[in-house]
Amino acid sequence: MRKQFKDTATDLAAKDDKLVVILGDISHFLFRDFQEKYPQRFFNMGICEGTLVSVAAGLSAQGFHPFVHTIAPFITERSLEQIKVDLGYNQFSANILSTGASFDYAWDGATHHCYTDLAILRLIPGMEVLQPGSRKELDTLLRSQYNNGKPTYFRLSDNGHTLDVPVSFGKGNILKDRGAAVTVMTAGPILGNVMEACADLDVNIVYFTTIKPIDKELIARFKHTRILVIHDAFGLYEAICEVPNISVSYHGLPDRYSVCYGTVHDMRRLIGLDPASIKKLVGDVQGKHVLQR
Amino acid sequence: MTPACKEIRRKILHTSRASGHGHIPTSFSVVEMLSAVYDTMRHDPAKPGWEERDIFILSKGHASLGFYCVLSQYGYIPDEELKTFGAFQSRLGCHPDRLKVPGVEASTGSLGHGIAIGVGMALAFKLQGSSRKVYTLIGDGESNEGSVWEALMVATHLQLDNLTVLYDNNRSQERSLPIPNPRERLAAFGCEAVQVNGHDLSALKKTLALKQTNVKAVVCDTVKGFPCPTLAKNVFEWHRKSPDEHQFKQLIGELDAQTV
Repeated sequence: MRKQFKDTATDLAAKDDKLVVILGDISHFLFRDFQEKYPQRFFNMGICEGTLVSVAAGLSAQGFHPFVHTIAPFITERSLEQIKVDLGYNQFSANILSTGASFDYAWDGATHHCYTDLAILRLIPGMEVLQPGSRKELDTLLRSQYNNGKPTYFRLSDNGHTLDVPVSFGKGNILKDRGAAVTVMTAGPILGNVMEACADLDVNIVYFTTIKPIDKELIARFKHTRILVIHDAFGLYEAICEVPNISVSYHGLPDRYSVCYGTVHDMRRLIGLDPASIKKLVGDVQGKHVLQR
Repeated sequence: MTPACKEIRRKILHTSRASGHGHIPTSFSVVEMLSAVYDTMRHDPAKPGWEERDIFILSKGHASLGFYCVLSQYGYIPDEELKTFGAFQSRLGCHPDRLKVPGVEASTGSLGHGIAIGVGMALAFKLQGSSRKVYTLIGDGESNEGSVWEALMVATHLQLDNLTVLYDNNRSQERSLPIPNPRERLAAFGCEAVQVNGHDLSALKKTLALKQTNVKAVVCDTVKGFPCPTLAKNVFEWHRKSPDEHQFKQLIGELDAQTV
C-alpha cells in the first residue's frame, strides 16, 4: 500500500503544485523518484513527529496540501496534541499517512504496535479517519480526500486484502446480505480473514473504509440483526456504537499488550483474528443467536 | 519606555482589572518585543488577511493579554472590546484564537506549538518564492518543551532566513528548569543568535532589521512585570492575578512614575 501511496502522490503532484510530501525518515528510498521529480516539494524532515505535524499545519495555512508520512504509533499517539491543536483546533488541513499500524511491525515489539490510532483520531473534531484495505482502495480514497480542507488520517498497511471492493468516502459496503440474523462488520485489511472465515456461514457482512464519518445510515439498516464487529484495532466498534438502538459486540484486541514478535499473521492468531478463530467465533455467535430467537 | 509602550501597559492593567484575569507580568515583559515586531513587519490592520503580509505568531499564548493590547494599539481590535477579555462570549480568550481575532495567525496556548507552525509558514513562503517573513515569540519557560528545539533544528536545517524567533528571557523558570545560556543554546542549534535588552525598543528594532542568512534568534533580556516593582518583586504571586482596586491604583502609580 505504501508503493501505491507513492504512485498516487506522484501522479497527483504532477497536477497539483501545492502537494508537499514530508517524511519522518521512513519510505525515503521508496520516494526517490518523487524526490527527483519534485525536489522542492519533498522533505525527509527528520525523526520529530510532533514537529512534522506542526510544520504541515503551517504549510496548510499558506495553501499547501501536505502529506505527512511515518510510522503509525509515532505520528498518531506521540503527536496527538499537535494533531488536536495545530490541525484540529486551528482548522488547518493536512494528510497524515501512517504505516505499520496494528501489528504490521509485529517483529518490532509492543513499542511499534499501534491499535489506538483510529480510536483517538476519530475523537478530534473535524477530523476524517480512513482505513483503506487495499492498494486500490487507498488510491480511490486518497484522490478523493487529499485536498478536502480537513485534517485527514489514512492508515496504510503493507498487508492489504486482495478483494476488489468499490469503495467511496463516507460509505460502507454491503459485501454479503443474506437476510441473516447476524451481521459481521469490519474495516481495513482484516477483511480478507473475515471473508475467508465467513465464506460458508449464514451471516451478513458489511465493510468500512471510512471510520469517521461512519456510515450510520447503512449500520441502521442492520439494527434488527445482532452486529458483531471484528477488527484488529479500536475505533470502528466505538463509531458503530454511536448508532442508537443496535445490539453490538466486539471481537478484536484484548486488554493486554501483545508481547510476542513474529509476523502480523502470528499476532492475529494469538488474539483470535486468524480465519479459523474468526470462523469459530462467528459460528458460536450465530448459533447462540439462533437458539435465543 | 516609549509613550506607546506605556499606553499598552496601561491598557493591560485596565483590562486585567475590568476582566478579573491576569498574566500581567508576562504581558508586561513582551510589550517592547511585540511593538518592535509590529513596527517592523509588513502588515495592514485594515486588511488582516492581506496576502502579502508578514506573519507574527505568539507561541507563548498565555501572554495574550499583552498581545490583545498591542493589537488594539495598532488598530486591529477596538479598545472597548478589551474589557471582555476572558468572558464567555468574548473573542478575546486567555489564549488567542486565530478564528476569532483579526491579527492572530495561529491559535496557541499549549506551549511549544506556535514556533513549529511558524516554521511551516516560513517554509511555505520559501516554496512560493515569496519575500514574506515570519516572526514568532517564545518564552524561556516554553523552551523547556522539547518541541521548541525540534522546530529549531528543522528550521535551521532548512535555512529559513525568513524566520525570526524572539526569545523572552524573563527568567520565568528560576523556580523549576532555568535555561541559563539561551543565546549559546540557540546558536548551537544553528540560529544566528543575538542578545539584546528586551525593553529597549530601539535596540530591538535595529536587531530585527539585521540581515540574516538563517533563522534569527533574538534573546530578549526582560523583567517580568517591568517596570512595576510590585510585579517584578512578586512575579510568582502575580502570575495570573488580577489587581483589586487598591492594587490597581498602586500599579498605575508605579507605571506613571516611569519617565518616557
